[in-house]
Amino acid sequence: MLQFYDVCKTYPNGTVALNKASATISKGEFVFIVGPSGAGKSTLVRLIYREELPTSGYVFVNGANLSRLKPRAIPYLRRNIGIVFQDYKLLPRQTTHENVAFAMRVIGATPRDIARRVPATLDLVGLSDKADAYPDELSGGEQQRAALARAIVNRPLIVLADEPTGNLDPVTSWGIVQLLLEINRGGTTVVMATHAKTIVDSVRRRVIALDRGCIVRDKQRSDYGDLGGGERAWAQGLSASSSGKP
Amino acid sequence: MGARSFSLFLREALTSIRRNGLMSLASATTVAVSLFILAVFLLTAVNVDNLASTIESGLEVRLYLAADLDSTAVDGLKAQVASLDGVTEVRYVSKAEALATLRQQLGQDSDLLEGIDQMNPLRDSLRVFTKGSAWVDAVAAGAATLIGVEDVGYTHDLAQRILRVITAIRLGGLALIGLMVLATLFVVSNTVRLTIIARSEEITVMRFVGATNWFIRWPFLFEGMFLGLLGAAAAGLAAWQVYIWAVSGIYTNVSFIPVVPVYPLAWRLGFSLLGVGGLIGALGSVLSVRRFLRV
Ligand SMILES: Nc1ncnc2c1ncn2[C@@H]1O[C@H](COP(=O)(O)OP(=O)(O)OP(=O)(O)O)[C@@H](O)[C@H]1O
Ligand SMILES: [Mg+2]
Repeated sequence: MLQFYDVCKTYPNGTVALNKASATISKGEFVFIVGPSGAGKSTLVRLIYREELPTSGYVFVNGANLSRLKPRAIPYLRRNIGIVFQDYKLLPRQTTHENVAFAMRVIGATPRDIARRVPATLDLVGLSDKADAYPDELSGGEQQRAALARAIVNRPLIVLADEPTGNLDPVTSWGIVQLLLEINRGGTTVVMATHAKTIVDSVRRRVIALDRGCIVRDKQRSDYGDLGGGERAWAQGLSASSSGKP
Repeated sequence: MGARSFSLFLREALTSIRRNGLMSLASATTVAVSLFILAVFLLTAVNVDNLASTIESGLEVRLYLAADLDSTAVDGLKAQVASLDGVTEVRYVSKAEALATLRQQLGQDSDLLEGIDQMNPLRDSLRVFTKGSAWVDAVAAGAATLIGVEDVGYTHDLAQRILRVITAIRLGGLALIGLMVLATLFVVSNTVRLTIIARSEEITVMRFVGATNWFIRWPFLFEGMFLGLLGAAAAGLAAWQVYIWAVSGIYTNVSFIPVVPVYPLAWRLGFSLLGVGGLIGALGSVLSVRRFLRV
């Protein structure tokens, strides 16, 4: 699904963001990208949706070499990729429903499909009751769930999440990660760049660690149980620390 | 582009124009002003052109003939002159005809000519018409060498000078029109850029959810086109009224100056202005949306 071959990325100002990074991510995998600030996580994500091109090396997405992709083909690449950012990027003058529908309208979906699929997707992320709310009437977690709904409403093959929990508290973060895991269970490949060590440690999935642009660790986790020991421990820790809540 | 997207883009463009009301008004006004100036220029150009061809068609060379030529000699001479480069027509005027014409021109003062019928001082002549002012000199020079031609007259120096001025005006007008179009383009593209900046968030989202560049472009293109058409319509209406007023003014005060009639000129001008306005608007918005679509 995703292949990186000796990918280097040097920004025009001379910053080396990635240095000979190689990795293969298969269909249906769930992968964390971790590393200190400035390690190149966001750069890696931007390379996948062809916001940036590698300076050298190759990135393949679904079999296509992105360096050789014609500019006019980029939108069609992106229709296979759902993207979630730390700052949600919802349109402030549109309701939750409209924000999600926007992603469908943009690729020319029929009003009938939109009317059918948007509520179903909002239901999936648990936002049915907030369909008519504007982003500034939503909590951070709700906004991120709306963004997630927008990312998956077109049923992409890949979901990219760049620090999706960066602005959220641990409990809310956990909810978002649960949603991503659920999307992944449906067969969608998920790549999540994150700082949140506790999440990575609790959810036993593959971790690609970057440091100063180099992949320093790529650990496959064998335990693919839905709720591994670590996950359970973290969840219990959370419920203990927020025991005042129902 | 399907009908559904079309109406969607149209609605978005209208909404955006309404939202940036003052800015939209300002740029439509600018388009109107520059297109109005353009229209005035075009109208002037059309009339100057008309005037020029009227003058040019009146440019003639007069060949005064020797008194002793018989009709065969005159016919031979006519054929020779007609074969000169640039000559369109040659007409024989006998001295009796010339006198009649003169008498007519003098009108009430024609009694001055009383009694000269017997000893007509005028000469037989050939009126030579040319393709244009550029040929007059060569034709005159060529005809002067022919046997039987006593004298060559072409007193249209002034006309030629007027024609030279007209040519200069035409060239200057073209340059000015070019500048005007560029300025209008700049203004429209700036207005549309403001809209684009206001909606840059939306463009970012459109891009990462997979909108094609044309999908992003159309609403802005429509917006620019609307502003252009709006300005053009205003300019056209104003130019139309001004031209009607000018034509009637010229007609009543200086009727010897030939003017091009209002219709169908007004229609043609109106459609041209709409075309130019719409094109400038569309081009202006495409230009300013371009940098936001760069990958
Ligand atoms: N557009 C850019 N132009 C120039 N340099 C950039 C650009 N984007 C990122 N960089 C640099 O590239 C390096 C990697 O940046 P990147 O955003 O990929 O890091 P990151 O791992 O996502 O960091 P963080 O965890 O803080 O988000 C950094 O040194 C950064 O300053
Ligand atoms: Mg980052």
